[in-house]
Amino acid sequence: MEKIKRTPGNKILFYGILWAVVYIVCLVIVKKLDPFKTLGVVLSFMPTITFVLFIYNFIKGVGSMDEVERRIQLEATVWGFTLGLLLLMTLGLLDLVISLNKEDWGYRHLIPYFFVFYFFGIFISRRKYN
Amino acid sequence: MKNTIKVERAKKNWTQEDLAGKIGISRQSVNSIETGKFIPSTVLALKMAKVFGTSVESIFELEKLD
Repeated sequence: MEKIKRTPGNKILFYGILWAVVYIVCLVIVKKLDPFKTLGVVLSFMPTITFVLFIYNFIKGVGSMDEVERRIQLEATVWGFTLGLLLLMTLGLLDLVISLNKEDWGYRHLIPYFFVFYFFGIFISRRKYN
Repeated sequence: MKNTIKVERAKKNWTQEDLAGKIGISRQSVNSIETGKFIPSTVLALKMAKVFGTSVESIFELEKLD
């Protein structure tokens, strides 16, 4: 049986999936099972542990990339961060005017946008350098 | 910034993949540098000069607008 190589990319992917799985499990428990408040608060902080593992491996992985790949990651992060900021600013202003529905525009509904913005940045940056 | 990486590669009969392996970067990165889309760091430029057996100045040259 062929062994899976432990490249930085594989490790980042592994910890990224672990973080997502823990988040989804916590989300389902908090939302569907309605635990008592203290457990709910503890569960809300649970994904932070896997996030720390993910970000540690992500930064380590970026450090081992060559300089072109590092530039691509930097630009993708800048796109992701600034577009995310723009989204929050716009929703914040809109909320003052039309009171957004929290079931459509609550914090947890915004998470996918940040991934979309990051991968949009990766797409733009790869086109620029490759 | 102009560069003569393609010429130097041709002299040695190296592919982009060969050069990438010798200086520890990806083939896509070699392509980005060769086509002038990315300006390499001093360290990488020195590594390239070393594997080609020449000086940095003979590989990279400033243009009027730089």
